Amino acid sequence: MAAMQEYKCPCCGGAIAFDSRIQKMKCPFCDTEFEMDTLAGYDSQLRNDQADNMIWETDRGEEWQDEEVAGLRSYACRSCGGEIICDENTAATSCPFCGNPVVMKRQVSGMLRPDYVIPFQLDRKAAKAALKKHYEGKRLLPQIFKDQNHINEVKGVYVPFWLFDTSADVHMRYRATKMRTWSDSRYDYTETSFFSVSRGGTIGFETVPVDGSGKMPDDLMESLEPFDISKAVDFQTGYLAGYLADRYDVDAGQSAMRANERIRKSAEEAFAATVRGYGTVTKEAGSIQLNSKKVTYALFPVWILNTTWEGKNYLFAMNGQTGKMVGDLPLDKAAYRRWLFGLTGTIGAAIFAVFVLLWLL
Amino acid sequence: MKKRAFAICFALLVWALFAYSAYAAGGMPRLVDWAELLSDSDAEELLDKLNEISERQQTDIVVVTVNSLEGKSAMEYADDFYDNNGYGYGDGRDGILFLISMEERDWHISTAGYGITAVTDAGLEYMSEAFMDYLSGGDYYAAFITFAELCDDYITQAMTGEPYDADNLPEEPFDIIWTIITALGIGFIISLIVTGIMKGELKSVGRQIRADDYIKKGSMRLSENSDLFLYRHVERREKPKENNSDRQSPQGGSSTHTSSSGATHGGGGGKF
Repeated sequence: MAAMQEYKCPCCGGAIAFDSRIQKMKCPFCDTEFEMDTLAGYDSQLRNDQADNMIWETDRGEEWQDEEVAGLRSYACRSCGGEIICDENTAATSCPFCGNPVVMKRQVSGMLRPDYVIPFQLDRKAAKAALKKHYEGKRLLPQIFKDQNHINEVKGVYVPFWLFDTSADVHMRYRATKMRTWSDSRYDYTETSFFSVSRGGTIGFETVPVDGSGKMPDDLMESLEPFDISKAVDFQTGYLAGYLADRYDVDAGQSAMRANERIRKSAEEAFAATVRGYGTVTKEAGSIQLNSKKVTYALFPVWILNTTWEGKNYLFAMNGQTGKMVGDLPLDKAAYRRWLFGLTGTIGAAIFAVFVLLWLL
Repeated sequence: MKKRAFAICFALLVWALFAYSAYAAGGMPRLVDWAELLSDSDAEELLDKLNEISERQQTDIVVVTVNSLEGKSAMEYADDFYDNNGYGYGDGRDGILFLISMEERDWHISTAGYGITAVTDAGLEYMSEAFMDYLSGGDYYAAFITFAELCDDYITQAMTGEPYDADNLPEEPFDIIWTIITALGIGFIISLIVTGIMKGELKSVGRQIRADDYIKKGSMRLSENSDLFLYRHVERREKPKENNSDRQSPQGGSSTHTSSSGATHGGGGGKF
């Protein structure tokens, strides 16, 4: 004998029973009727719901070789704790993050060797020119900030990035509605049809970057994206000559959470975009399983420029590959007020003139 | 004896002339404040205004306030009040009467003769919009003054041969303070948006919340794709009843009716 199957009403969640009179399932609480097949189908959709699995194995990695380490120096800033690596010929005189001149020499040890590096393609001059351009056309930037354009230091830094590759199994379930309205002589009718929509499949992600430097502001680094990873080459210490390299202090495990957030958002949106033709779509459940996970460690080229103005440190960064310049600029409050009230007066006068004209006509 | 009779006749004549200017033909003043809504000084000022306009325009402009309509409809009461008290200039008995009754909170404007021509249905609607706020707010003096001034304006306009009507309503008075405040308000909002955009130019740092740039091209495979119909709900709502009285006549003009005394009246009214 088949086991009694108990269904829950998809509308109100109450236990549902077979109504012999209409030969359908009918919810005794909310009076909604269902075909038997509908409930069985909905039940199997619910059964498909799974928990997330977004754990990355991050124990892999290549250690430095002794001869490589011999040619490298590590410096730690006593002021902010930032740690950088450079080759033995590059003297680090000040910290690229806080500008503090106090640095301490250390031995390079106990860290992963980068898998890839994107070599610098733009030089110091390009960085300075880009900053100048960054100031242009910004009417609320204090003039004095523009004029005094005193950049404390321009440093080429290889910033450590964790790159996440994966193929994601996505399963999404939505409650969607369609609306239909019609009228007869006395009434207006609104019919809302409810659907359970499920979408599943896979989507692949390649080299989702997460900045592994705790000293580099995450938002600043993410603003520099995208880097063209196809130009990356196998890491050689020779690339470090003349530049500084930041040492990662956020490990792959911690960085994975950030990558997961971005992967989840993009994956969910990609599948949600396949739900079409409904008036409303509400997510009911969703899960992501990550397969064939791979984490690589790469150094990306970034020009860091910083300047101090009115006691505040302004940090700018340029993508050393594409030349994209980012960095928040100070606001000239007096100019802001001038613009705000000036425009209010001008636009107000123009609108007043229009009102007068309309009234006269 | 003859002298005395002459003196009486003369006195009567003077009185009649005076009465003709200050009172309507029937002897009722142009302001009848039985509901006592106006202070003495306001009443005096209003009456002066009504008299001045009425004589200048040769059309009686009358304001009547009562406590109760005594069972009549506002229209009947206003029409009868007009007919029975002998208001109206000339053969057409030209005039406009504004009645309000406090108990029913009804107002009605009854027009007669040239008043019907001057105050069209659309014009009346416009007029009522102008004084309704005062009326509802209890500022009766302002409501009556507005009424009187608009009547004056309406009659002057009607003399040109084109009374205010559906396609020819009076222009709003130009409220300079309101216009300046509105213009500056809109200007300020636009300026906020513009300076907001200018402020935004200074910011170039922000987090990325998506990984769209890193989706492997063509890697998306949709293996599960089911749209299962669950149930439907039908909601039924009764259609709003069409209200004929609210419908505005697009043709314009003035609608008229015949009062109990057989005279033709126009106008209209409502609640306040």
